[in-house]
Order: sequence, then C-alpha cells, then structure tokens
Amino acid sequence: MAVVTATAPRRRKPNPAADGTMTVGRTRTGNLVANAAGVIFSIVMFFPVYWVLITSFKPQTEWSSFDPTFIPDAPTLDNFKSAFNAPLFKQSLVNGIVITAVAVLAALVVGFLAALAVARFRFYGRRAIILVVLAVQLVPFIALLIPIFLMLQKAELTGSSIVGVTLVYVVLLLPYTVWTLRGFIAGIPRELDEAAMIDGCTRGQVFWRIILPLTGPGLVATSVYGFIQAWNEFIIINTLNDPEHQNLMAWLMQNQTSRGTYWGPLMAGAIITSIPVVIFFLAVQRNIASGLTAGAVKG
Amino acid sequence: MRHGKYPFIIGFLVVPLALYLVFVVGAYLQMFQLSLTDWSGFGGFNYVGFDNFVKLWDDPVVWTALRHNLFLLILLPLVTIALALFFAFLLNVGGKSTGGGTRGVWGSKVYRIIFFFPQLLALAIVGVIFGRVFGSDRSGMINGLFPESWTPWLFLADERWALTCILAVLIWQAVGFYVVLFSAGMGSIPEEIYEAAALDGATKITLFFRITLPLLWSTLQVAWVYLGIAAFDAFALVNIMSVNQGGPNNSTQVLSMQIYLNAFKFSQAGYASALGVVLFFLTLTFAALTLRVTRRDAVDA
Repeated sequence: MAVVTATAPRRRKPNPAADGTMTVGRTRTGNLVANAAGVIFSIVMFFPVYWVLITSFKPQTEWSSFDPTFIPDAPTLDNFKSAFNAPLFKQSLVNGIVITAVAVLAALVVGFLAALAVARFRFYGRRAIILVVLAVQLVPFIALLIPIFLMLQKAELTGSSIVGVTLVYVVLLLPYTVWTLRGFIAGIPRELDEAAMIDGCTRGQVFWRIILPLTGPGLVATSVYGFIQAWNEFIIINTLNDPEHQNLMAWLMQNQTSRGTYWGPLMAGAIITSIPVVIFFLAVQRNIASGLTAGAVKG
Repeated sequence: MRHGKYPFIIGFLVVPLALYLVFVVGAYLQMFQLSLTDWSGFGGFNYVGFDNFVKLWDDPVVWTALRHNLFLLILLPLVTIALALFFAFLLNVGGKSTGGGTRGVWGSKVYRIIFFFPQLLALAIVGVIFGRVFGSDRSGMINGLFPESWTPWLFLADERWALTCILAVLIWQAVGFYVVLFSAGMGSIPEEIYEAAALDGATKITLFFRITLPLLWSTLQVAWVYLGIAAFDAFALVNIMSVNQGGPNNSTQVLSMQIYLNAFKFSQAGYASALGVVLFFLTLTFAALTLRVTRRDAVDA
C-alpha cells in the first residue's frame, strides 16, 4: 500500500530534481521574481531608516530644504552636537540606562525563578498561573494606566522618582520573560535533572549547575528583548514622571512636538537613542531567532 | 525528593505573584471601582452606578473607535502574516533546489537583518520617520517623488486614508519580527520532508501549502495572538502619528486613545475607567477565543 502511494505520483511526473533536466526556465524566472520581490521589499523596509541616517548628517540648510536630497552634500556632526547639548538630553540618557538595566535584571531573576517553578513542578494552580500570565500579556496596558498612576502617586513613586516606573517595567517584561524561559527550560530533558540528583545534587544545585547554564541562550535572548522593550517605552514614563525624569524616548517625543521642525537634531537624537538597541541586536542576532522559537513553538 | 517541592515553588513564585497582585489584579479591581464613579482624576468622587456605561453606549465616538479597532484587528494580522510568510518562505525555501535540497534565496541573511530592523526602532522614532514619509505637501517623502503638477496626497490629514496610513506603519514595523519568527519555525521543519516532496514532483507552491503551512500552524496561531493585541492597543502609534490625537475628525480614533484622552486630558477618569473595563472584556473575549484554539500547544508543558 505504502509503496503504491509513494511511487504512483512519480510515474506521472518524472522526478524533476534527480534527473537534472528539470524545468530550468521556470525556476530561473521564479528565482528572478523572488529575488526582485526581496530587493524591492527590502528597499521599502529600509528606506525610512536610511532617510533618518542621512538627515542626521545634513547641515541645517539641507535638512530644512523642500527639495529632498538622498545623499548629504556636506555631511556634518552638528546635529549630534546639538542633540547632545539639548536641555535634559544627558539626564534622560542616564535615567533611561538606569531604569532599563534595573528593570531587565529584575525581570530576568524573577522571571527565571518563576519559569523554573512553572516548567519543572506540577502543582495546584500551575495552569491558572500560566493562564493569568498569558491573559495579562493580552490586555493593552493603557487600560491599567489610570489605577497604576493613582497607586504610585499615593506611594509617592511618581514625578521625580524613577522607582515607580521601573517597577511597572518589570511587571511589563515579566510575561514574556517567564513565557520564553519556560519554553527553554521545558526543552531541557528531565533525565538530566534526575541523573544529577542520583549523583547527589540537591534540587537547588540542579537548578544552579544544570538548568541555569543550559538556559544561557534563552537568558540572552530574553534580556535583549526586554532591553528593547524597556528602552523603547515612553508612554508610561511620560504619564508618570515629570520632564526632568524621563527616558530618551520620552525626551524624543516631547522634542518632536515642541520643536517639530528641527528635523536634523531630532533625527540625530533618534540615531543616538537607537544605537544601544542596534548593537545589542547585532551582537545576539542568532540567539534572537532561537529565543523566539523556544517561547513560541515548543509546547 | 517530593518533600522539597513546595518551598521551592513558593519561593520562586512569591515575588512575581506579589507584583501581579499589586500591579495587575489590584489595578484591575481599582479600575472596576473607578468605573462606577464620577471621579475627575483629582480630589474626591461619588458613586454613580452604571451611568458611565450608559454614557459610553450612547457615545458615537466610542463606536467609531471600536469600528477602527475592528478594522485593525482584521487587517493587521492578515496582511502582516501573509507578507511575513511569503518572505520567510522566500528566505528559507525559495532558492534554487540543487540536488533536491532546499535553500533560501541569495542574500537571505542580509534580508533577515533588514527586515528585522524596524522592530528595533522605538515607536517614538517610527513616528518621526513616517511623519516625514507621509508629509502632506511636496516636502513629504512620497509626495516629493511626483512632478510639481501633482496634487499632493494628504495622507494623515485625509479622513479617508489616515487610518490606512497608520495600518501601513504598523505592518511595516511588525513584518520583520514575523519573518524571523516564521523563518525559525521553517528552519525546524526537517529537510527530508521537502526532499521527499520534491522527489514526488511537488512545486514550490505545493511545498508551501502542503508542507510549510500545516507544520507552521502553531506558530501562526501565536502570531495571530500577538498581532491581535497590537491591533487592540495601537495607542502609541496613533498617539504620535495622528493629527490631533485620533483625528482628523476622529478618523483614527481607537479605544485606547479614548481612554487616554478621557483620563489625562478631559479629566474624566471615571468615564475612562469604564472604557478600560470595556477594553478589558473585549480583549479577554479575544484572548479566550484564541486560547481555545491554541490550547493544546500553549498550556500543556
């Protein structure tokens, strides 16, 4: 039966790949179309980024001109200097770094432990916890902004304090962190745990010596994603904090509305703000893909 | 061995659960409470029963906003997933099939980085960029491409097209992430399956519909959930890009924008909370439906 079904189609259509005389013309055009589509789409995807890049190097006469130029005539670093010396820029930079670093680190530690509990133990309420974590991730955060603002204001953690906003970021990053790390941990065979425990490891040692190192790529992917999330956030911090305690994104947005026509410095500010994210991404580009799959595909 | 279980579980879960109890459960309870009040955002408040909900039922702006959310909820996942699938397939399987094996098209690594790039840009920056792309006179990037006799497209200032512009930007930003996500999924499909199908004479299109698509199904479901959430939210981009926060003439108004405006601009925090309750139940319904579909893959570890 199996033989019949396997060979029947082959008789009707002679094996194209093996005999080498396959429909060459069709594949060539197919490849050409595919490549053309890829190139065109890449241009659409990348052109706006290129635009920001070149605008940041244009002198004022050029970026304020109505005739767009696609290669700057006289490249200059003036815009970067101007952005760097703009009011509150450095302060926002420092705030952003502190808030992001603390939030990502906290989410990683808390999330790893929670993921361990969810992935390695069966206990009452485990399913409910997974569902709650998932459900929370599904609800747009804006719905919670009012009560959270109220709570943090009462606790005096808003305005000139960055504690409140850091806490909120940790809560924001947790679902993704737990979910992804859970996938990674679930992918580590339980037999490893058991073998180590037979050899005399305690449960704590198993977590510390076996699961933690094996989750390494997951931790990297998660922290990069968390970094991007926290670094790029600006709605919450803009709502909670006063102008002296914003991060760079919120600074950028405020400058966009208040100095909307200063394209050059604005774009330079945008470049500076994006650099850390791009560096992190390029450094761990491979791990990002595996991180995504671990969280998403492995059941 | 089994004795040491609960101390670990409790120790591991106490911090995240505490955070959730305060910032999520507590916040929701407070939102429900506030939705029954006439609180302005400052000072005291009175309980007004379900007045806020009656008011929002009769509020035409809310219905407009909901219609726009629905528009995004349908089109954002559809278009993004279709584009991402096409390019992921191109990058992974679309190349020449030499010796029966499958390969991506030439330069697929470069494509992957380029496609992912928009994902790295903060929405604040995306807003700045596309403000220029969609400039409504000849200084705008798109209108600038046409000759001087051209009547410029208004883009974000045009009631009919403003929301479509925002949808385009949402897709632009999302596509790369899903190309990478689907690529990873396709990479885990064993080569032998493609080889076997190619030997049996399957074309690229057959390979896609008969092998890639079914084997990627669970990844597609995840993508659908993520994009659905993005469509329900959409706040950040509407906030930066639209004329007058949801304009012109409410043509880009979405529910989250209404919540924000009522809470922090119109001093109607009670009413905004009621809208939050509506958004909560809408998203939860969507979540429940999706979870039902994805249950098998998602919950059983």
